[in-house]
Amino acid sequence: MNGYLIEELASATIREQRDLAGVNRPEMSRSVNTNGVAQPRADGEAVVSVRDLRKTYAGGVEALRGISFEVREGEIFGMLGPNGAGKTTTIGILTTTVRPSSGSALVAGHDVVRDPLAVRGAIGVVFQESVLDNDFSGLDNLRLHARLWRVPRDEADERIASLLESMELTDRAGDGVRTYSGGMRRRLEIARALLANPQVLFLDEPTLGLDPAVRQDIWDAIEQLRRRYGVTVVLSTHYLEEAERVCDRVAIVHQGRVVALETPKALLGALGEEAVELKVDDPAAVLPALAGLGLNGSSPLVMGKTITIPLTDGSMQAAGLMEEIRASGITAIAMGIRRTTLNDAFLKLTGAGVNGHNGG
Amino acid sequence: MIRTAPMIQTASVIQTAALGTFTLYRRRLAVATKTASGIAGTMTPPVLWVLLIAPALDTALGDFSPNIDYFTYVAVAQVALIVPFTSMFSGINVIVDKEFGILREFLVAPVFRASIPLANALAVLTIASVQVALIIGLGSARGAQFDTSATGVLWFISAVALLSVITYAIAEVLALAVGRQEAFGPLIPAIGVTPWFLSGSLFPISVLPPVVEQVALLFPWTYALALMRYGMMEDTDPGLENIWHMDSEPLMAALSLGVLVLMAGAALALSIRVFNRKTMS
Repeated sequence: MNGYLIEELASATIREQRDLAGVNRPEMSRSVNTNGVAQPRADGEAVVSVRDLRKTYAGGVEALRGISFEVREGEIFGMLGPNGAGKTTTIGILTTTVRPSSGSALVAGHDVVRDPLAVRGAIGVVFQESVLDNDFSGLDNLRLHARLWRVPRDEADERIASLLESMELTDRAGDGVRTYSGGMRRRLEIARALLANPQVLFLDEPTLGLDPAVRQDIWDAIEQLRRRYGVTVVLSTHYLEEAERVCDRVAIVHQGRVVALETPKALLGALGEEAVELKVDDPAAVLPALAGLGLNGSSPLVMGKTITIPLTDGSMQAAGLMEEIRASGITAIAMGIRRTTLNDAFLKLTGAGVNGHNGG
Repeated sequence: MIRTAPMIQTASVIQTAALGTFTLYRRRLAVATKTASGIAGTMTPPVLWVLLIAPALDTALGDFSPNIDYFTYVAVAQVALIVPFTSMFSGINVIVDKEFGILREFLVAPVFRASIPLANALAVLTIASVQVALIIGLGSARGAQFDTSATGVLWFISAVALLSVITYAIAEVLALAVGRQEAFGPLIPAIGVTPWFLSGSLFPISVLPPVVEQVALLFPWTYALALMRYGMMEDTDPGLENIWHMDSEPLMAALSLGVLVLMAGAALALSIRVFNRKTMS
């Protein structure tokens, strides 16, 4: 018998697992306001706690270099970063499919290494790739999940009906999942992950590979489910504008480290509301001229041939700055004003874009 | 957290293991019986063997021993061919689940990881049981002379079950090791058929060259076939004697069963270990 099996055998009892998994809890028992709308609680208990987590894969690839964060009850917590930043590894450790090299991680009060079975009883997971039983219908997939998570039959039937309705899949529930579109498959996976009333829902790049309209639908559904069920959500994405919209707090992950952990508003606040953006042929040649303009502490951010100047100083006017740039003789292919985004914050913090390009 | 008495924890562990394994077992059987072609593919080979191939072999080779009813001899051999074949093909399901399907969902489910390969092995055993029943039933109808004493049936069932578990475990290890259907497919006849020919299926291992005869003793098929025939063809088949060279048939049967139990235990432990290694980074 191997070590991992022995660890599993030491896991909590079934009753404890089911209580902790929330299967025995009535719906909406967490952080619910008087209007029946679930709210994140700023002072809520940490349901995910990560301390100095490190992971080095066979072959020496250092995926995590000491990550620490906490996620509070009812919160939507985003991990942002480019491919290879360590987001999926972190979620893998928290969902017990990746073994950490060192550090600790607790989910719903259970250690992911010492008590993986109890952790798995307390979570729902939506994977980066579509993971459905392709030989069966949507309804069959949900019923299988309910049996694996040991949701009582009556309760499972009710929740399945409710979740199918929430995800607008009721009419197609009996169809084979091979006939589903990408967006439908993703909605079914989210419904499945919520079926056992998990304490924590993990979404690994939930909108990856979907077209913009479907991505919008998915985020709307996640927001709606959070409002309705009050579930804590930990998600990873590299669509920063989407994270900005739905996340209560975000951790910016870069090369296996958390380089910022804040609310989207606070991260954007540090940049100011607006930015001037220039497209130029040779950014390196233009930067000294920009420095000569006196940008009142604003540091230009470079991504390829694009230079972004966030107006961190509230007294600086975008229109005035554009006029100064023109007057200085800088030749821009295009120039304009736009709202600052988390992508700017990411660029400022890491010196690289979220797609991994060097900022130059 | 409230601590519970060890006995309750043990009961819960057993309950978790049993329920998880049973749920996964039901799902695997549902996959196997989902399509008419799947059912036909499982049931056709036993029928073809008993109705067409075994009579042809009996006609062509049936005179090699006056003490042996060759049709019965071959009917038992069919079991030892078809059951491992079913096991080997189920390795493809392991690859499909891992590469395109549902395995990741199972890995984050509150079930013991070992339940996943165990459930697959149990499902293979169930399908194999139906195939064996078909062979025995049709074989009897076609004139096979099975000895059907209770003890004999027990020896036979034990040998079939253990051979099934061993070959499934081998299939799973290979499937996880190669990882791709197109690489696994060619291994099925190589691993599933070649040892069968050398293990006393159509002729006794005593007629093989001495070196090959020693090689045959490494295959579980050799022990399983001898044990199956001991159970179903009392005192007529020299299979056990060819392996052990002893006088006591019950002792030789027990030794063969012991070898199969050891092989099954080792193969299953290896498959669970490989499964954990391949599914956990």
